[in-house]
Amino acid sequence: MANSVVKIDNIVKRYGELLALDHFSLDIKEGEVFGLLGPNGSGKTTTINCLLSLLAYDKGDIEIFGKKMTPVSYDIKKKIGIIMQNVAVFDELTVYENIDYFCGLYINDKKLRKQYVEDAINFVGLGDFRKFYPKKLSGGLLRRLNIACGIAHKPKLIILDEPTVAVDPQSRNKILEGIESLNRDGATIIYTSHYMEEVEQLCTRIAIMDKGKKIAEGSKDELKRMIKNTETVTVEVLGLTQSMLDELSALPHVYDVKYDGQKAVISCSGGKHNLIRILDTLQKKEVSFGRVYSELPTLNDVFLEITGKALRDKED
Amino acid sequence: MFLHNLFYELKSSLRAKELIIWLMIFPIILGTFFKIAFGDLYDKQTKMDTIKTAVVGIENDPNFRTVIEQIEQEDEPLLKAEYLDEEKALEKLANGDVTGVIYAGDDMSLTVSDTGIEQSVLRVFIQQYSTKAGIIKETLASDPSKLGEVTKALMADASPNHAEPLTKGNTDFYIEYMYNLIAMVAMYGSITGLHIAVGNQANLSPLGARKCCSPTPKALSTLAGIIGSWLVQAVCMVICVSFTAFVLKTDYGKNLPYVYLAAILGGITGVSMGFFVGSIGRMKNSMKVAICMTGSMLCCFLSGLMMGNIKGWIAMKFPVFNNLNPAALVADSISSLNLYTGHERYFTKLMYMCGISAVFITLGLILTRRRKYADL
Ligand SMILES: Nc1ncnc2c1ncn2[C@@H]1O[C@H](COP(=O)(O)OP(=O)(O)OP(=O)(O)O)[C@@H](O)[C@H]1O
Ligand SMILES: [Mg+2]
Repeated sequence: MANSVVKIDNIVKRYGELLALDHFSLDIKEGEVFGLLGPNGSGKTTTINCLLSLLAYDKGDIEIFGKKMTPVSYDIKKKIGIIMQNVAVFDELTVYENIDYFCGLYINDKKLRKQYVEDAINFVGLGDFRKFYPKKLSGGLLRRLNIACGIAHKPKLIILDEPTVAVDPQSRNKILEGIESLNRDGATIIYTSHYMEEVEQLCTRIAIMDKGKKIAEGSKDELKRMIKNTETVTVEVLGLTQSMLDELSALPHVYDVKYDGQKAVISCSGGKHNLIRILDTLQKKEVSFGRVYSELPTLNDVFLEITGKALRDKED
Repeated sequence: MFLHNLFYELKSSLRAKELIIWLMIFPIILGTFFKIAFGDLYDKQTKMDTIKTAVVGIENDPNFRTVIEQIEQEDEPLLKAEYLDEEKALEKLANGDVTGVIYAGDDMSLTVSDTGIEQSVLRVFIQQYSTKAGIIKETLASDPSKLGEVTKALMADASPNHAEPLTKGNTDFYIEYMYNLIAMVAMYGSITGLHIAVGNQANLSPLGARKCCSPTPKALSTLAGIIGSWLVQAVCMVICVSFTAFVLKTDYGKNLPYVYLAAILGGITGVSMGFFVGSIGRMKNSMKVAICMTGSMLCCFLSGLMMGNIKGWIAMKFPVFNNLNPAALVADSISSLNLYTGHERYFTKLMYMCGISAVFITLGLILTRRRKYADL
């Protein structure tokens, strides 16, 4: 078993009346890419800030690299790279200078630092922008700068709090690839997001949180096995009658049918050939249908099933 | 680590051009206006003779006569009085034989037939006499021989706008405004000090939060920031004083190095004040900037930037306050160079500035010493 890098034990954090973290625990092992997935306001950033000892919490313990984390644990802080949700760079410093500044908070040796800054610039692909001021960077490039400032000192533990908010898919992919390569180079990653696709793609282990509680944890396959949904079949079809819907519901393995007049969404649990059975049924009744697709469960389904609400709006 | 922080602090503050430029440009424009408005008067004033004055009703206020006699004994007296009845006095005024007619008594008043520097000087003179009549009366009652000293001291403390040459230094009519202008630039340093406090506090800015995650102790990066701002502000002060000295041709005589020193120390006090304001509690940044700006302007106002004689009034009513008001300290320390031959008073004022800065910085550091926050 790999060593624990981060151990959060039963922390409770209140903002006045609001219970932001409710007996929340995590155990993150060396070499993992750990995803913290939850809707807006679920407490991801609060968790990170408690972890970094920026926030005082009401109860519980936090250990990093096997030692209790405090605001003066400078030896621990040395090994952490943090990319905050809010971009934190100096407007008056260029890309290069910003990275050098933050790297210099960790690395004293000038020559080594120069090398590290160059590595970070190449890593995020800002080579053409090193003389740019943050104001002149697009949103995605600014996020990349924020990342470079966080990882330039080659930390062992990298914490990224929603690094891809407001970033176009192309930049986002670059960022995700970068994180994967950091992990390959030996860094343990904590990644928070409310984009489940990212988390699915990237993370080896995932904790889903809601309202300050951890509601599920495991690899994505483990998470999906926790729920009964195994397949969702969607059929674009007009004018389905109630008796037709009843007949679909009665098919084996089907546990839920939703119809909005244009699209039937049929949820199945277990079994094989669900799609064929459904289409057979429709064909026998001579119902003509348009597009048909079958989806395997997503983390959204996991979230939906556990909390009864969607992780986030579809169009988001 | 410290030098790294200081280096980037300097770099980023020197690049925050808008800030610096606005902090500098406003006073410079103002100074130029002063020069245009009053510079001309000054040229006349240097050649100003003793002001011929008629005094009516001196029997109502014998003390006034004593004071005037005292003044008339000086080498270059401010004024020369004739004691006349009203009719005669007004006649002389009409003929231009006297500049103004002073009505002595409980309700002192002045009648002039023209406007100009001499008339203004007279007005200021009787205003100050009225405010200080109490003290003067007391002196006369207890020890009349001290009267000379007392009047001198009172005048000096009020930094009056008149030309009574107490020493051989420069006593421009408008030079007090220049001193206050320098004080204003010094006070604007509070804005940069404010940024240091905000930029190093996890609960005040994302940048502060980010810095707090690093292995560089907060006290270290904060101190680097403060020292960086002091240096930048010192440069601003040097530019500002040089501008008044070499562009606006304000004549500081051989006191110029002292003026630089006082201005730099004033700037340091301003930065420290801003750092303190930035450290108190959680307010919106714009709110704190507003507090700093208002505070700075208030200090300048109370030191006489807008109304020349307000400082005299404060010196009368709350003498301590002028030693606590950084703007007044800057203006006073510089003007003391002209008003006194020794530098004792100048260095006293400088000591006060150092003391105030130390208090502000200490309080600010105590307020920001916390390392974990209840919320961010
Ligand atoms: N400074 C604060 N004062 C009071 N309540 C706060 C504060 N910061 C966060 N909260 C509340 O705590 C809860 C958790 O917030 P948090 O920022 O940790 O959520 P999050 O999961 O990071 O959300 P997002 O995806 O929007 O970043 C929310 O309900 C939020 O309103
Ligand atoms: Mg968040």
